[in-house]
Amino acid sequence: MTATGTTPTRARGATASSAATRGGSRAPALMTWGFLAPTLIGLGLFTFVPIVGSLLLAFFRWDIITAPEFVGLANFVDLVADPMVRVSFLNTFGFVIVTVTLQLGIALVLALGVQSAMPTWLRTILRSAYFFPLILSAASVSLVMAYLFNGDFGLINQVLTTLGLPAVGWLTSGFPAAAVTVLVVYVWQNFGFTFLLFVGGLAAVPKEVYEACSIDGATGWRKFRMITLPLLSPTILVASVMAVISALQIFDQPYVLTRGGPGDSTRTAVMVIFESAFQQLQFGRASAIGIVLTLIIVAVTAVQFRLSRRFVFYG
Amino acid sequence: MELSRRALIALAGAGAVGTALSAGRLVGADIPGRGSDALTVAILGTAQDAAARADLVAAFNKVHPDIRVRIMPVQGQDWSNFFAKILTLVAAGTPPDVVVVATEGAQLFADRLAEPLDAYVRRDAAVLREYFDDVHPSLIEAFMYQGSLFQLPIDFNAANLYYNASALRKANLDRPADDWTTDDFLSVARAMGRSNPGAFRPFFWTNRLWGGVVPWLYINDTSFLTERKASGGEWFWSRFYPHETGRGGGYEWTEPNAEDPKVAETFEFLRAMVAEGIGSSPAQGGGGELVARFAQGQIGLTPAGGFWVEGLSEGGMSQESYDVSFFPKWKTQRHQFGAAGYAIMRTSQRKDAAWEWVKFCVSREGMKFAFPKPSTTPVRRSMLTDAFYAGKGPKHWRVFYDTLDRFPTTGPIPAPPQQAAVESALIKNVVGAVTGSAANVKTQMSILNRDLALALRRNS
Repeated sequence: MTATGTTPTRARGATASSAATRGGSRAPALMTWGFLAPTLIGLGLFTFVPIVGSLLLAFFRWDIITAPEFVGLANFVDLVADPMVRVSFLNTFGFVIVTVTLQLGIALVLALGVQSAMPTWLRTILRSAYFFPLILSAASVSLVMAYLFNGDFGLINQVLTTLGLPAVGWLTSGFPAAAVTVLVVYVWQNFGFTFLLFVGGLAAVPKEVYEACSIDGATGWRKFRMITLPLLSPTILVASVMAVISALQIFDQPYVLTRGGPGDSTRTAVMVIFESAFQQLQFGRASAIGIVLTLIIVAVTAVQFRLSRRFVFYG
Repeated sequence: MELSRRALIALAGAGAVGTALSAGRLVGADIPGRGSDALTVAILGTAQDAAARADLVAAFNKVHPDIRVRIMPVQGQDWSNFFAKILTLVAAGTPPDVVVVATEGAQLFADRLAEPLDAYVRRDAAVLREYFDDVHPSLIEAFMYQGSLFQLPIDFNAANLYYNASALRKANLDRPADDWTTDDFLSVARAMGRSNPGAFRPFFWTNRLWGGVVPWLYINDTSFLTERKASGGEWFWSRFYPHETGRGGGYEWTEPNAEDPKVAETFEFLRAMVAEGIGSSPAQGGGGELVARFAQGQIGLTPAGGFWVEGLSEGGMSQESYDVSFFPKWKTQRHQFGAAGYAIMRTSQRKDAAWEWVKFCVSREGMKFAFPKPSTTPVRRSMLTDAFYAGKGPKHWRVFYDTLDRFPTTGPIPAPPQQAAVESALIKNVVGAVTGSAANVKTQMSILNRDLALALRRNS
């Protein structure tokens, strides 16, 4: 009886309790979704829907004016056959290798520099100066640089000729002058972010480790190799991944400075996407190039993370 | 934080009310003019450019008080960029009724977007006769496509040569003769360079479809695309220009022609100029910077049209400090021109009203309101007067219209419906050809030919 008497009571109690729990959890869940909703709706409408649309568009020929025509894989086949697309991807890979190397190298050297003994005011000025180009618009910087590097009236050539040196067609001479100019402008503007990451990374290295290392008799280079680099390696990984992703999408500098020329020597993959879509109205082709570039970015990032297992030291 | 059901419902209700109140903004219904029955006219320019047409709109409304007009300024760095934005409006389902279209986009619009004007022109032939009598037929022919007329031009600019009169005087040279040759041109440029040291370029040019390599190709009796004339158009020519011969139904550019030896010869001529330092490496982009350089006296000679007059005046150049001449003669003295006019969109629901706008804008009264200053060359020869250029124009402003009269084969920018792709292919190969070695020119022409073939095929 007891058993019979208690069981329903317990069951009722359990039901009431779980109902209370459900009732109690519903409001926070609703609130959570309520707060998330604007972001999710925004992401859905302006990110996921365009991504899916772009994926579909890659299999169509569409010029905005006439109805889209299904062409299967023709846009992708066309990319392989198009010499300009091949060159633009090769240029992009070249840009990535050079800019990422320079960006990481310069940023690391300068970050080590500002960490060394110097007055605080000087450190503040240097940090700001190195970071400053990054906050400027890439298009504006490129326009100013186009004036500086102008072959006929630019300041740089005027200085060179005043010194008795020959003028250089910075933006109009074939490889490598124009490509080097674009690279210089890009690296100058972008190394500040990597620099900032390295400054943060270096500040996180415990001083005790250096002190212990000094007591053991290690000198500057050995300290850098055995302490700084390993402890900075997670930051280097993050900086390199971000630099590679950013460099694979290089557009503003070559577009404003050279429009991809001379010939195709500074044309990049994103430039071809822009030209295909918004100048030549080949939205299917542009989407196909975009998909290929996205896959490349994903693959390169995956490779970076895979390789990081060998050299990144997480302490 | 705990949120009661009541509070949640209240928040949701507030959100719904807020969304309802801002619905007009969310769907863009509050954008001025949207959803109204006004005739929308898209122009390449800024809000200031639109405001500058207020007098034109007011004058139109005096004649047609029942047609409300809204000028829609669309900013673009060049015509291609402008056309791309118009196409975006089309894709968004909000196309304008009328669009100002330059030669660069005339065939793109005629092929896909614009309404032929043939029926309207036939209907109002009596009114339009006076306009056609005042306009050179070459300008009209540039807007014919496959036998139909798609636009009535309002302004044009031939690629003439502007020269810095001070630099010429310093070199002890007189104004070039009207029939000067390319050899004369080189002599003048060399003399200018010798007597104007420092940051000075005897010849400066831009890398674009208008005023770039094309004027040189034209005077060498060639082009980078094969040029043919379409059949048709007799209905028009027989009625309005009965004495004209050799006119057709519009231009056709369907094949690349960069491997023509005369094209390579032209590029070699330009390459040699750049190598010698007489000519600049062709600059990218438009002419804003070029006007400033010319006004500052850093440029001796440069291709430009009547559109420069107002800009140079605003830049502080006096009438005496510069002048304009014809392009030099090589195998021919055929010039290049670009023109613009209003096109009626096929999608327009107000085509009759749009036609009234087009007709008014080409009328003598309309054009006076449209071009109060010499910021371009009006197509009506009667408008080019001493009064129009008073205090601003170059001494030989007659060159602007004489270009058409004296060299009747003068033709438009080669701009097939695939103009954007064709222009990209041209521009990207020009610098490589004129800044490399002489041996490189022929190879570069083969690449240009290949790129042009791809551009014409891919976009067809």
